[in-house]
Amino acid sequence: MAEALQKKLKAELEKYTGMQKDVSKSMSARQKLETQLTDNNIVKEELDLLDGTNTVYKLIGPVLVKQDLDEAKATVTKRLEYINGEIQRYEAILKDMEKKSEQHRELLSSLQQEYQRAQGMAGKV
Amino acid sequence: MAEEGKMNTEHLGGVVRLREEHEKVVRDCDSRLQHWKKVSGDYEALNERLQTLPDQLSYDIMVPFGPLAFMPGKLVHTNEVTALLGDNWFAKCSSKQAQKLVNHRMKYVKREMDALSKTKKNFEARAGFAKDLETISASKGDCIDIREEEGNHDAALTKGKQRIAHKPNSKPKCEAVLDLKEEEEEEEDEDEEEGRDGGSRRAVLTEEELWARLDELEKQEELRDEQDRLSDTPDMNGEDTSSLSSEEEKDGEAAAPVNGLGLKPSWTSPHSEAPPTADRKEEECDDDEEGDGSCLPTIFFSHTVEPKKVRINTGKNTMLKFSERKEQKEHSKKKKKNGHNNGHSLHELHKITTPTDIYRLFVDVKNGEPVPRKSILKSRSRENSVCSDTSESSAADFEERRMIGRSFSHDELTHSDTSDGITEEDSPTAVPLHPASRFEAFSGTVVEKDPMPSAVPHLTIVPPALPTILERKQEEVTSDAPPPEQAPKRVSKFKAARLQQK
Repeated sequence: MAEALQKKLKAELEKYTGMQKDVSKSMSARQKLETQLTDNNIVKEELDLLDGTNTVYKLIGPVLVKQDLDEAKATVTKRLEYINGEIQRYEAILKDMEKKSEQHRELLSSLQQEYQRAQGMAGKV
Repeated sequence: MAEEGKMNTEHLGGVVRLREEHEKVVRDCDSRLQHWKKVSGDYEALNERLQTLPDQLSYDIMVPFGPLAFMPGKLVHTNEVTALLGDNWFAKCSSKQAQKLVNHRMKYVKREMDALSKTKKNFEARAGFAKDLETISASKGDCIDIREEEGNHDAALTKGKQRIAHKPNSKPKCEAVLDLKEEEEEEEDEDEEEGRDGGSRRAVLTEEELWARLDELEKQEELRDEQDRLSDTPDMNGEDTSSLSSEEEKDGEAAAPVNGLGLKPSWTSPHSEAPPTADRKEEECDDDEEGDGSCLPTIFFSHTVEPKKVRINTGKNTMLKFSERKEQKEHSKKKKKNGHNNGHSLHELHKITTPTDIYRLFVDVKNGEPVPRKSILKSRSRENSVCSDTSESSAADFEERRMIGRSFSHDELTHSDTSDGITEEDSPTAVPLHPASRFEAFSGTVVEKDPMPSAVPHLTIVPPALPTILERKQEEVTSDAPPPEQAPKRVSKFKAARLQQK
């Protein structure tokens, strides 16, 4: 009885740690997106500061490719929107995962209690 | 106490951890701030370089060739700068434009630094508090943790047996409310005294302690009465109130398991006085007036001499003598209240020490019942007012207000003036000044209809810049007397109020 409980406990624990890792991964991805967001915001503002006389290049690999100013602006704006969308998606995922991990945590604690009780009884016996 | 000890250690541990966390945040903020400072420094240097770069068409420099070698070379096209805009975007621009970009970035960096420093300060403060908390809970130093627990309701029930839910128009009995107040004060006092003793607060004191306490309170009472006497209350304060208070105390003692009388029942102490309390007391004031003819709902303040008689020039070649005595007699005739509640001179009630006292004293009388006024600042209509003869009393009122205003301007205090000495702005006098039926020269009542002189600092609104010189007052009396006469006769009370407020 106690061993079965113990096995169960271990399994649940592993699942829980797995969940935690997922949560942290999503969080780091989200943070990356945040930095990209600020970056793109700055780029957009700086592009606004420039006028049509300067040439804009985009770094694609080792190559600097000439771009049109307006095109560049449009691209940056679109990228910004994309990043925002991604952030929201990640947030939703994160919330979901948090909830699941909470449930799991509760389950774990109850199992732990049972296990301890079982151990106590086994100890007595 | 063991529990307390345990709580302390837990508390201590938690507080220590809290402080550590706060300090961690502060350190983090610090490091980030350092980073941004470096960035800022870099940008400054860049700015300078961009400034000097276009000075020459080309520069002779040693070009780094790999990590270990240099080669002599020339720096050309000094005005053309390819700037990284972020996210793999580049822009070719002149050095001036590049400078603009750099400035823009500096702004951003500065913003970040400001935010960081703010958070840092915030958390430093929090860490400081946590530290204080730590020292407090670790050693009971100068600060004592004041804790107040619930659970006094039984005593309340037994003692204040007449306690009912007070509605604004209800009039609970004097003793009950006083007892309750006493109790409240006691509770509070005791809690503060005893500090952390959770359960021991309800311990019954011994008789000797009680008597000792009584003596203390009596002494306090006498002291207070001395002060009251000094502040010009015109009649017997001390004995009555002290007797009353001692009565009360004895009552309190006898009534219930005594919790140790805290403060003496102070009549004028606010403590959540509700209008009903005010009403009741007001009533008792009136009752007192009946009997003694000596108390008035006046506001008594120190360093004023209450003028007992005032000569008022109504501007019609008549002089009205406003006599306090007359007014009191007036009130005593007018007011037929429930009869004497306690025949004590509830002088203390008239003494206004807190804003609640004002509300207590200035109540409307509707159908012979005092009703707490919703706002003492609103001007009243003539009909609700006390004045009987609008022409005369309006002039009289005006003059009266002058007097009041003048005294205000002198001392900037509200005096216990003739009838009311009220710091009301436009509203009529308090309830007792009601003789609505007497149409005489001057009924002794003062109704403040017009706005107070501007001399009163903060309580007046719309002061029509009344001077404080007597001569000019007389002028204005004559000039202003006519308009108020006309106005109330024709307009509705609301309009009158509005007119007054103008």
